[in-house]
Amino acid sequence: MNGTPDMSSAESYGDERGLDPREAAQLLDRTQRQAQRELDFRSPWLSLLAAAVALLAFGAIWLSVRGQHPYKGPTPAGLIVLYAVVLIRIGTVLYAYRRATVGVSGHSVRRRQAEGAALGVALLAVYVVMAALAHAGASDGVVYGVYVSTATLLVLGVFWAARSAVREDWQGLGLSIAIVLVAAGSAFAGPRGVWLSDGVALCIVLLAYSAAQAWLLRAPRSDT
Amino acid sequence: MTADTLDPLIHAPARLQIMATLAALPDGDALSFTRLQDMIRLTPGNLITHLRRLEDADYLTSEKTGAGPASRTSVALTHRGRAALDDYTETLRGLLNGL
Repeated sequence: MNGTPDMSSAESYGDERGLDPREAAQLLDRTQRQAQRELDFRSPWLSLLAAAVALLAFGAIWLSVRGQHPYKGPTPAGLIVLYAVVLIRIGTVLYAYRRATVGVSGHSVRRRQAEGAALGVALLAVYVVMAALAHAGASDGVVYGVYVSTATLLVLGVFWAARSAVREDWQGLGLSIAIVLVAAGSAFAGPRGVWLSDGVALCIVLLAYSAAQAWLLRAPRSDT
Repeated sequence: MTADTLDPLIHAPARLQIMATLAALPDGDALSFTRLQDMIRLTPGNLITHLRRLEDADYLTSEKTGAGPASRTSVALTHRGRAALDDYTETLRGLLNGL
């Protein structure tokens, strides 16, 4: 933002038109909704995209491992699809985040940066432990199947749950608890099945979350 | 209870929009003047007038950083401003329930 006007040299425009209480309540409700929509990077469309990404990414890995006997782990082709869709997801989230936070400064911006750094370190640790497990002689099915998919989702889910709880974001808390349950439950499907189970279950959870977000954006408020 | 019981500083369309928009930010965050102007679609002069009135009442604070074309003005609700908006909302709810 360049050259914003000096607030001490204001023109004398006024908008002192009286408001009917009902009119004021409608204006307040409309403005609050619009502000929350514009300042929050999360949206039903972004969640819908996340559902597609989860299905495509985990589905591609499942297709690459389902015929392996013994289990060797995701093939390069499967990993290329996984990384491509994950990069698309990261790109869209960053775009939405930057768009929503243009002109916003203060505590929450610094807090989000710190959270992002903490999440990055936690995800990196998942892959360090994966290398340690392989080094210790754990089977490919455990290291490159059950562990890597489950641990990644657990870290993401627990991180988001803690973040949502601090902000009293109950919708986000519900989503993250569902992700943790999906991760833990899918681990029982074994090294091949875990990818399919994660992909399908996450897709369903994210579709439900997207629908809930859309419904809440449309639902009338009861507080004013 | 009548509409006269509503805080006259907030009970004007432009100022109500300013307060409601800034209240959507987490406590301690500020919004740049141009982003606020984009969001509530007021002319710069009109927006400044209303911001100054709210600042005089200690409902918001403004901070200007930089100088010349690179200057940037940010505005944020104060605790007093947030409390005033909460009171306004409560009073409005009471009025609507009484209608």
